[in-house]
Amino acid sequence: MANDQTAARVDSPLLFRIVAGTLFLLLISLPVLGGPLSGSSAGISPYLANIIGQIATFALLALALDLIWGFAGILSLGHGLFFAMGGYLIAMHMLKSGYVYGGVTPDIMTFMGWNELPSYWVLFESFPYAMLLILVVPGLVAFLYGYVSFRSRVSGVYFAIITQALTYVAMLLMFRNDTGFGGNNGMTGFTTLLGNDIGSSNLVIGLATTSVLVLLVAFLTCGALMRSPFGRLLIAIRDDEARLRFMGYDTLWPKLAVWCLSGVLAAIAGALYVPQVGIINPRLLSAEVSIEIAVWVALGGRGALSGAVIGAAIISALKFWLTGFVPELWPFILAGVVLLVVTLLPNGLLDLKLAMLRRPSRAKTRKASARPAA
Amino acid sequence: MTAVTDQKNPTPGAQAIQIDGLRVSFGDFVAIPHLTFIARYGEVHGVIGPNGAGKTTMMDVITGKTKPKKGTVRLDGSIDLLGLDEPTIALAGVGRKFQKPSVFEALSVRENLEIALRLKPRSILAELRNWSDRRRVARVGEVLNEIGLSAQADLSAGVLAHGQKQWLEIGMLLMQRPKLLMLDEPVAGMTDEETSHTADLVRRLRSPERAVLVIEHDMAFVEEIADRVTVLHEGNPIFEGRMEDARQDAQVRAVYLGR
Amino acid sequence: MLPIRQFFARFFIPLVLVIAASLPANSQDRTAILAEICSGDFAAQQSALGQLASAGVEHGEAGANWARAIVDAFEGRDLRCGDGIAVIDGNAGPIMAETLEPTIGVDPEGLDAPSVNLRLRAVASSANAVLRLYTEAEAAERLSAASYIDRRREAATATNIGAALELETDPDVRAVLTTLRASLLLSDADPTNRIGAIEAIAEDATLRNRTTIAEAIKSETDAAVIASGETALASIDRTLAIGQVLATLYAGASYASVLFLAALGLAIIFGLMGVINLAQGELIMVGAYAAWFTQEAIRYALPGLLDYYLIIAIPVSFLAAALVGLIMEVLVIRRLYDRPLMTLLATWAISILLINTVRVTIGSQNLEFHQPGYVAGGFPIIGDFIMTSNRLFAIAIAVLAFIAVVVLLRKSLFGMNVRAVTQNRSMAGAVGIDTRRTDMMAFALGSGLAGLAGLALSPLYNVNPGMGTGFIVDSFMVVVLGGVGSLIGAIIAALGIGQINVIIEPIYGAVAAKVFVLLMVIVFIQWRPEGLFAPKGRR
Repeated sequence: MANDQTAARVDSPLLFRIVAGTLFLLLISLPVLGGPLSGSSAGISPYLANIIGQIATFALLALALDLIWGFAGILSLGHGLFFAMGGYLIAMHMLKSGYVYGGVTPDIMTFMGWNELPSYWVLFESFPYAMLLILVVPGLVAFLYGYVSFRSRVSGVYFAIITQALTYVAMLLMFRNDTGFGGNNGMTGFTTLLGNDIGSSNLVIGLATTSVLVLLVAFLTCGALMRSPFGRLLIAIRDDEARLRFMGYDTLWPKLAVWCLSGVLAAIAGALYVPQVGIINPRLLSAEVSIEIAVWVALGGRGALSGAVIGAAIISALKFWLTGFVPELWPFILAGVVLLVVTLLPNGLLDLKLAMLRRPSRAKTRKASARPAA
Repeated sequence: MTAVTDQKNPTPGAQAIQIDGLRVSFGDFVAIPHLTFIARYGEVHGVIGPNGAGKTTMMDVITGKTKPKKGTVRLDGSIDLLGLDEPTIALAGVGRKFQKPSVFEALSVRENLEIALRLKPRSILAELRNWSDRRRVARVGEVLNEIGLSAQADLSAGVLAHGQKQWLEIGMLLMQRPKLLMLDEPVAGMTDEETSHTADLVRRLRSPERAVLVIEHDMAFVEEIADRVTVLHEGNPIFEGRMEDARQDAQVRAVYLGR
Repeated sequence: MLPIRQFFARFFIPLVLVIAASLPANSQDRTAILAEICSGDFAAQQSALGQLASAGVEHGEAGANWARAIVDAFEGRDLRCGDGIAVIDGNAGPIMAETLEPTIGVDPEGLDAPSVNLRLRAVASSANAVLRLYTEAEAAERLSAASYIDRRREAATATNIGAALELETDPDVRAVLTTLRASLLLSDADPTNRIGAIEAIAEDATLRNRTTIAEAIKSETDAAVIASGETALASIDRTLAIGQVLATLYAGASYASVLFLAALGLAIIFGLMGVINLAQGELIMVGAYAAWFTQEAIRYALPGLLDYYLIIAIPVSFLAAALVGLIMEVLVIRRLYDRPLMTLLATWAISILLINTVRVTIGSQNLEFHQPGYVAGGFPIIGDFIMTSNRLFAIAIAVLAFIAVVVLLRKSLFGMNVRAVTQNRSMAGAVGIDTRRTDMMAFALGSGLAGLAGLALSPLYNVNPGMGTGFIVDSFMVVVLGGVGSLIGAIIAALGIGQINVIIEPIYGAVAAKVFVLLMVIVFIQWRPEGLFAPKGRR
């Protein structure tokens, strides 16, 4: 099955530096402008810092999807699954530590009439244990599903839809009360994280700064990785996987590696996101959320890491702004953006940039890749 | 990662690939009823035949893309290829060029060549470390010269002309140093000039430790490059020998040339 | 239908009465009964009331009418007895009890009313109720009589209730009488009769009858009756189990029909263009809403045809969804044929647009559908399995659509083009097939099939803007399982997934069913990535 061709092979170095620079500036200014200078005219309110922090986690999520879609050509319509996994795990940690150390009985226990939390909540009061699970559980799920799919060469549309089905089933499971994850209501009422009160401006700024930091580190690391021979191998897989196999490469392992990496990154994003919004429920597993991630990447331009970050930032900022006063309008705008991008800007915003810059080498590359995929 | 490692150096004239009693069918359709075929080291072996003669199917079986119903396929007289998957067969020394030029368009010409060379150890991780190995760099330079694409080394492969892509692909096969090299219609769609350049390249591919198998419709091209030809018809070899003899063979003329 | 019973009561019964009154045998019976009831002996009076209650068994409605008059008079103390004579001294003047004709030369003043004690009164009321079963024209009256007898059984026997049951047409009354008769039979003093009763009841294997027999043998002492009861229970259980299996298969088949219609459209489009239409679920919704609009339009313009709206909606739903599909294809999909993954995003965006447009313009509540008679009831088949018409409707639509699609693809020029383009797009283009046009038509066809699915499910499921989202996953699983481009594969896969859903759902819940289907598909792809019935060939 043909994978969609991408013009961008790797990022434009200039754009990459601009994004990295912006993130770095944000990283050093957030603690200052949001902390001591918070009240001043140049300051950042905790509300704004919180939004910046959330957008950073979305950008990280987009980065994760771009690794597999933009580079290896594998579209997942189920990355909300990994995002939610990270979110649920950190939520379990916060509830358990609030219960054990703060004596706050989680709603879920009252609601279910439990006297104690189920056995799989054991040790969750320990932050390092929760962190370990945030890396291991999504990684394991990604490995199992990836191994089974890639081994049988499930790819393209099949792979995408099955990831969506997987996420759909996970949502149905989470909606049930008896699975012990809060059912329809999800988990909320968090009190502390690492000894800080949830809602305290310290924690808000701290979480936002951490999110930006993690995003920056992931951005630089993934950028380096994608420029490395490993990145080239992924691009080769995207362009012509069969050819690569006939050259003696077993493509299973590189695909599996980047798939697992992507899943873990998405889970980390989820673990940073949930303490900032203070709630998690199964709606994070709905198809809309997962597809919206793909929209961020498509808008920013697949195969360009900076594009993924920019796409996520633009759309989620727009969403924050619009849902503030016309929530009914948002689905129409989102759908409109998607249709616009897929029909007019096949390479996302990169196309706009290309149109503006008209750099000959770029134009050439684009022309070459406009050829229908084999 | 591989069960199969390089064997002793082959001797010219020894059997590179040996196919015995091969039967391939798709549902009710029998593509190859019973095929026996041998290609030898040091030779360029042309395989010709009308459409549907089973030429491409034969290549698919050798490279592991298609699993036959019956028969054996041996490389070097010893390695049974039928139980192996595509990457393992490739590492055992079987290289293939597809009918459609397939190069990695988003990678540069140089990177395309680099990716084709597998140094030992061949695990994926080691492979990534080996990428900057000096042997690799040197070999890439050599092959770039050989296929005449030195000037385009840092361009995206996607921007190359059709003929240049074909040569790049042959260059990638050269990097692989296969024992058995199979070319599926290497000159289809080429200009006369490009065809003669390709013929040069293919002649240069001939080596004592390599068997070259060429599937082609272009009679003149096959005559120019092949030491020996096999004519397939409905999955059966109806002639084997020199091209000029093939032209005289009554049966061959009936099914193929005398259409 | 003009109630025939009423008709008889008004015109024929008086006539029949006259004839009946002149029959000597009948006359002798009546004289004997009246003698007994006038005797003042409790046992004789009781026996007379029993005979009166059963008057309808032999003499039908006419006999019952007479008996009822006597019972009423007895109960109301209007009956006067003399020596060999009985007169009813009602408000309308004295009449002869035997003939119910006015008295000639008999003065009721000198005659005595027979004694009525409490127990006789109870028997009389019960007898009256039994007789009302034969004589009342209104089903509601008979139903109230039947439930009265259920409480006061003094005059009821298996025979007189059985005879009333045979005359009865109303299903509700029949149901009460059936149970009543069964329990009367089961409490018969003679074990042989009880065994006979059990065997008779067991002939109609329903859950209700099973309970009746199970209750009866609980308090039974006779070994032979218990043995017979247990045999009967086992036989009912077998039939019930078969009925249960059939009912499950039937429910599964109807879900599969909806799934099949949606998946068939999906498979045609996917086979042809490599595009998965994530808006297929919303095209189902469009079909269902089109059916609703058809209903409303007919209700407004031609209320007399309202019952036929489901039939009229067949072309409307198909065309509405096909039109939406056509617009999608022309505006968006055709620009994306070589980028299947982008098409996923685009069709998803369209689904969001469709859902929210409907939500904003019509609202997100469930739509109210009129249920015409032909989809309301059902046909009892075996055990408790009733072949309900609404499910039958869905299955019929699927079967018809399947036949139409097969004919279209096999026999028409369009079908040939679709098959040609599916197999080799560039070659088909080269021999002069307008591949663009073929794509467009096929996309409309696939969308229209989803619209039919929407129509088929409208009598079965809730219809609201979000109804389609649950279907896309199952439909796609059908495509994966069945193999692209195989109609038979799609049928078998739809049946399989439909059945799994309805089999697992009642036992482990809907979630387990979905989990199972998904796992099955993932495992299945390991084994046959091309699907169950993919056309074999070189790829």
